[in-house]
Amino acid sequence: MIVFISGGVRSGKSRVAEQCAQRLADEGDRLHYIATAKKTDEEMAERIRHHQLQREKGRWKTWEQPHTLREIVSFFHTCDVVLLDCLTNLWANEMFQDEQWQIEEKMQKRAQNVYRDILDLASRTKGLVIVSNELFNGGVPSDAGTYLYMKGLGWLHQQIVAVSSVAIVMQYGIPIVKKGERPCGTEPFLPCNF
Amino acid sequence: MHFVSGGAFQGKRKWVKVHYSLANKPHIWCNGYEEEWFLPNDHIMEQIVVFEGAEQWIRRMLDEHGQESMKQIVSYFTAWKTWEMGGERTVVWIGCEIGQGLVPLDEKERIWRDIVGWSYQRLAAMCDRVDRLWCGIAERIK
Repeated sequence: MIVFISGGVRSGKSRVAEQCAQRLADEGDRLHYIATAKKTDEEMAERIRHHQLQREKGRWKTWEQPHTLREIVSFFHTCDVVLLDCLTNLWANEMFQDEQWQIEEKMQKRAQNVYRDILDLASRTKGLVIVSNELFNGGVPSDAGTYLYMKGLGWLHQQIVAVSSVAIVMQYGIPIVKKGERPCGTEPFLPCNF
Repeated sequence: MHFVSGGAFQGKRKWVKVHYSLANKPHIWCNGYEEEWFLPNDHIMEQIVVFEGAEQWIRRMLDEHGQESMKQIVSYFTAWKTWEMGGERTVVWIGCEIGQGLVPLDEKERIWRDIVGWSYQRLAAMCDRVDRLWCGIAERIK
C-alpha cells in the first residue's frame, strides 16, 4: 500500500510519515528510510542531521539514494516498510542530473520511470510512505526549468495519489485526509519537539 | 456558473473534461493561455462554455485596463452569467491558484496577484459551484 503525504515546509510531514511507517510495520518488520537530499551546504547538512536524530530512537535503516531508485528496489521485500523522503528532492535530482532538462519529452520519460520505480517498490514491500511538498499554489515561474520541474512533479503527484490507499495534506501539523481512511500513525496527535 | 481552481498541475483541465463528459458533448473550450477570451454572442449554439487560464486572462485585462480592470473583469463575468441564464447553459471557469507563494518583489507581479485574488472572490460569489483540485481530487467548497 502507498501512503502519500504532502505539505508545505515545516508542516510536520516527516513526523507524521515516520509515525505512519512505524504503525504499518508489524513485529519483526524492518523500517527503511530512503533519504534523497544531497548535502549541498551547511544548512542542508543541519536539516539532514535533524531528521537523522528524529529517527535514531527507532529501528530505522537509512539509504542515501538521491536519484535512480531502481538501483535499490530489489533489496526490499514484504516484511519491509519504506519511507521515501522526499519526492521533491528525488525528482529534482533526477531532472537536473545532466543538461537534458530542457527537453520536455525526455523529462516526461524520466517522470514515468520514477513512477514505475515507485510502483515496483510499493508492490514489493508491506508499505511505502511517500513524502512530498506543496509548491503549486504560488504561480508558475516563466523559466523553463522551474516550469518543467513543476509540471513533472504535479504529474507524479496525480499518478501516485490515484493509486494511493491514503493521501494526506499536512497543514500546521494537522493531517488533512484527502483520500482513504483516517490513517495509521496520524492519530492521536502526539506532541512534537521543535 | 462553475469555478474550478487549485494549484498548477493538479489536474483541473482533465477533471472538467471528465466531470462534464466533454468527450461526447458539444462545447466551446477557450484556452486563455493561447487565445483571447470572448464575450457572449448570438452565434453560440453549444450549451457548455469553458474558459481556461483565468489568471492569464486577468493579466491581459490588467495590462489593457489598468485601474479600471476590476470593473471590466466583473462586467465580463456578469455578461456570461446573463448568457447562462438564457437557457440550459453552463459556463465553467478554470483558474490557477497563484496567491499562496512568496510575495513577489516586482510591483507589477504583486498587483497582478492581488487582482487575481479579488477576481476569484468575485467569481466564486457569482458561481453556484466552486471546486478546488488537489492531485486530481476535487474538493467542493461551494
